[in-house]
Amino acid sequence: MPAPFADATTDLVEAFNRSHPQIALSVSRGPLDTEAMSDLAISSLLLGGSPYDLLLMDVTWTPKYAAAGWLEPLEPWLGQEALADLAPGAELGNAFDGHLWRFPLVADMGLLYWRTDLMDRAPRTPAELEQISRTLQARGDVPWGFVWEGKQYEGLSCVMVELLRGFGGHWLEDGELQLDSAEAVAATAWLEGLVNQGITPPSVANMAEPEALQAFESGDAALMRNWPYAWALLNRIDSPLRGKVGITTMVSEPGQPHAATQGSWGLALLADSPHKTAAVEVLRFLTSTEAQKQLNLRWGYTPTRLSVFHDPELLAANPVLHNLEEALEVSVLRPLTPVYAQLSDLLYRGVNTAISEAIEAPEAMAKLQTNSERLLQTSKGVR
Amino acid sequence: MARLLVLLWSLGPMLWQLYTSLRPAEALSGGGAAAWTLANYQQLLQGDPPFLRYLFNSAVVGGCSTLLTLVLAVPCAYGLSRLGQRSSRTLTVLVATAAAFPAVLLFLALLELARDWHLANNLLALSLPYSGLCLPLAILLLQAAFRDIPLELEEAALLEGLGLWQRLRWVLLPLMAPAIASAALLVFIFSWNEYPIALTWLSRSDLLTLAPAMARIAGSSVYTIPYGAFAAATVLGSAPLILLMLLFQRQIISGLTQGALKG
Amino acid sequence: MRWKLWLLITPALALLLALFVLPLLHYLWLSTQAQSVLTGLQPRAVGAAQWLRLWNDARFWQDTWQTLRFSTVSVALEMLLGLAIALLLHQPLKGRTALRTVSLLPWALPTTVMALGWRWIFNDPYGPINGALSALGRNPIPFLSNPSLTWIASVWADTWKTTPFVALLLLAGLQTIPADLHEAAALEGASRWQALRHITLPLLTPYLLIALLFRLAQALGVFDLIQVLSGGGPAGSTESLALYAYLNAMRFLDFGYSATVMLGSFLLLVLLCGVAAIGWHWLERQRREAH
Repeated sequence: MPAPFADATTDLVEAFNRSHPQIALSVSRGPLDTEAMSDLAISSLLLGGSPYDLLLMDVTWTPKYAAAGWLEPLEPWLGQEALADLAPGAELGNAFDGHLWRFPLVADMGLLYWRTDLMDRAPRTPAELEQISRTLQARGDVPWGFVWEGKQYEGLSCVMVELLRGFGGHWLEDGELQLDSAEAVAATAWLEGLVNQGITPPSVANMAEPEALQAFESGDAALMRNWPYAWALLNRIDSPLRGKVGITTMVSEPGQPHAATQGSWGLALLADSPHKTAAVEVLRFLTSTEAQKQLNLRWGYTPTRLSVFHDPELLAANPVLHNLEEALEVSVLRPLTPVYAQLSDLLYRGVNTAISEAIEAPEAMAKLQTNSERLLQTSKGVR
Repeated sequence: MARLLVLLWSLGPMLWQLYTSLRPAEALSGGGAAAWTLANYQQLLQGDPPFLRYLFNSAVVGGCSTLLTLVLAVPCAYGLSRLGQRSSRTLTVLVATAAAFPAVLLFLALLELARDWHLANNLLALSLPYSGLCLPLAILLLQAAFRDIPLELEEAALLEGLGLWQRLRWVLLPLMAPAIASAALLVFIFSWNEYPIALTWLSRSDLLTLAPAMARIAGSSVYTIPYGAFAAATVLGSAPLILLMLLFQRQIISGLTQGALKG
Repeated sequence: MRWKLWLLITPALALLLALFVLPLLHYLWLSTQAQSVLTGLQPRAVGAAQWLRLWNDARFWQDTWQTLRFSTVSVALEMLLGLAIALLLHQPLKGRTALRTVSLLPWALPTTVMALGWRWIFNDPYGPINGALSALGRNPIPFLSNPSLTWIASVWADTWKTTPFVALLLLAGLQTIPADLHEAAALEGASRWQALRHITLPLLTPYLLIALLFRLAQALGVFDLIQVLSGGGPAGSTESLALYAYLNAMRFLDFGYSATVMLGSFLLLVLLCGVAAIGWHWLERQRREAH
């Protein structure tokens, strides 16, 4: 699993090994960067004889790994009702082709961070966001208004998923690509406009989560799009922004939903694991109510179980828990397909082209639509 | 003046790394004048697995690859230099072609090879492709050096009744020392730095070599981009090589001259 | 006697054969198969479909162009700078040994390591270059977020890293040129430029060629520098062929196509070398006839 999760679960792993002396559980630390993690997981799976039994997976990997035959269906182990206790939103993205392939460890969804000391309330529409940013920039409070993940990588696809919904559009709906729709073009054009108007710095075209957080934390931007992990970091004892940050969902046009991209991490059982029974035991333990509570209390990770969201002790300790639950409720999945990696690669390249000033939004989106259609066509041919 | 420029060009970026590695994270994103710190180094050395582990792994792979390459390349280069003009020429051209082949293109085939032969996650096995990739350059270098050794020397040894093996061992190898040393260093540096194959062959984190481990530090901390830790890793990771270069700089150049690479 | 020589040669050649020829044959086979996540990673014969796909793949051709552009410019810069540094290091200067060691250092560092270093140096706005600019009251330069600037940054980093290799080879070459040649030229009143043009460069040609060959081959396969520095972005403007092949295999799990991309870029490389070799021969002949 990625390094931060490995750190966060250290105590849980120790507890497990104490209570289950017949099973020896050890966690391998992977890189933090999701794509680097995927490279590592894939090369170890391709090499065969993988040393791992369980894999902590990003939500978008599920169809790909399942289609590659690397995963073991979980419903024979956990039962059909396994997802019953999950909070609305968290149950998405674990099943594909009629089987359950992974069980969410922590939920993750895109959030809009705002400075409570600079504005009375968070912007809810694109126009408000521009308005607030311009006012603050004109007053000299912040050099930039809004930072987000604009680099050519998966994070940009996550931003786009939220904005596509917020502008009333879709990526892939009922097997139809809708990337050249007026709504989709408007969403891209808005991002492009943010850069052109100077609300977002041009360096956004190379910004991933850490860069965005760095700019926000050093007071260089008033608004940021990021994941829940940033909340705990921004509220560290020595953080300059401690107590000055609020979270909400992404802006949307009036009448359109505020969407949050679902980005949960979940445990999956590898098909060639020699210790399946023991591994399922571990999976149950790590995703238990008690474990989720501890992960939230100590590390700020978002739970996936409804009962944990309503735990009085947690509600008292974590003032934003209900914001997180709300965001999870409106969370949207990225397309569930084995060729998601290619599809998303096209999307983030296309949008990145528009924001790095190379070409205009309508042209970029038209090209993106054609390329994506060709990809789906090719993959149908192969099937 | 020119000397100063060269110094600045080569050293500038490295000195910046050294500087960064000694600064705390806050100072890097513009926050005031913070004190100097060794925290970045501490973090690396106490990591899991500790950074020294990667250095050790790289040294093991580097050492093995160097040894294997020399064991294969020295006899081959000798054979080529003593073989008749025609076959030697053809073979040399083939070897040169292999030397010019972009090695990255091999990674997919090597991945399948590692799977079928269970070579993954094995530092010693990793030196097999490394040696293969370094062989062409090493052979070319050593072959030219062998050609520079007068045939009369060998004939004299032959008259004294020394066999092929004895001639190689007692007459030729000592003369070849500088060329061999520089070839060895080239191979070692290559193995120390190789990335794509290490990335695909090694998945256990306690077996990682330096290059993929460095790329992974890129994401080892969520707090901010850990440029301080990177920089410290850069400094630690390059220190052994800088030492090697300092010690052997003369040998590399004289070895290459002896090899004289007469294309 | 001869069979003994062959015995010495064979092991090395066998490893080379196994390492270079077998993979190529394997790719040739794989490029006629659809083996991807959609086929459950099982191979299925598809004839020339992958090659057709490659031919129609605008991204492949864009990457080809970008890789060629990157290679030509960075190798040209490296050759020029390398020659200059080699000439400087060849002169009997004070502190020459130290200078030699220092100027060779960049080449000895792992590419991934220095690529990370450069990413930090080029950082906008917290890196040193932009830090200095903002201290001077200038706007930061978006090195890694503007396509052309990112390209320049990648050439810059590559040149920094591999110039020492060229310089090293050329320095070795310079040392094989007898010093009395230059002394004789000086006695005849030749300027330094003339000596360089008529004595040094012709004698250095084999070294220049070898350096060119090695560097060009490595630059055309550029992978780790790009992956770490820019990840191929922004807008795909720095993606190289090797990176595209890597993405197809390791991210998209499309091995058939990845093999086709690799084989395709290899064929282009061979074609390029062929054209270069023919051109070189033609030039040589012209020169000989002129004499």
